[in-house]
Amino acid sequence: MTNEIVLTNASAPLPPPENPAEQIVFTPPIDIFETAEGLVLQADLPGVAPDSLELQIQDNKLSLYGRVTSTLPAESRLIHQEYQVGHFLRSFILSDEVDHEHISAKLNQGVLEVVLPRLPKPEPRRIRIQTD
Amino acid sequence: MPIFRWGHAWDPVRDLEREVDQLLAKVSLFQGIRFGRQYPPVNVYERNDEFLLTAELPGTRSEDLEVLISAGVLTIKGKRIGPEGISDDRYRRQERPRGAWQRSITLPDHIREELLEAEFTNGVLCIRLPKASVTPPRQIPVINGNPV
Repeated sequence: MTNEIVLTNASAPLPPPENPAEQIVFTPPIDIFETAEGLVLQADLPGVAPDSLELQIQDNKLSLYGRVTSTLPAESRLIHQEYQVGHFLRSFILSDEVDHEHISAKLNQGVLEVVLPRLPKPEPRRIRIQTD
Repeated sequence: MPIFRWGHAWDPVRDLEREVDQLLAKVSLFQGIRFGRQYPPVNVYERNDEFLLTAELPGTRSEDLEVLISAGVLTIKGKRIGPEGISDDRYRRQERPRGAWQRSITLPDHIREELLEAEFTNGVLCIRLPKASVTPPRQIPVINGNPV
């Protein structure tokens, strides 16, 4: 099961969590590795469904905001807790070598994978020198 | 009363050793708290007819996940592997844990082990543990015995 995430180029900033006092927001752990084509970013977002993940690029800032959707049935009382459930928020500054137009992302079993292709190096351009 | 005694005099080397020992003790204590926890952490929820056990295991393939039950002990096993063909020197940042893990949890007595169900959604494992119906308490009449 693979789900493509649509990247939005919205100018509005990401919505803040509804109530920070009630809902915790975590910084998800990430991996970044190099491939022949560019960079791949992976982030752990357990409990985030594809339709509750927002990924935005504004200028050279990539932001992710994942809302956790509970799959627990109604009337479930927490009786033993070893971890806390919360939303995920993290931002990254993309370097100029990343081709912003061709970034793709998918979410699979709670792991977001963002492919950041490298921008092809521009050909050297000869500048003509004029004389008055 | 002598102020300095052999063996008890100020000894910078031994002091340093003791300092280092204290430092190490602090480190191991820190690790004991921070890393001595069992992995993965689990939450347990209760409903009228069942218990629910959840664990966050993002990126674990369901074929790498194993749930076993035997004699009232629930064991969950799994592993998370990195992407194929990517050597460690390719990483610019590595924060996500990986490797194999195993955890055993003793279940309460009144669980119907044969009806256990496990579901893995969005990287969260949820195990449903249906409760066995508890037999209602039986009144035992107390008979007046003949005095000997």
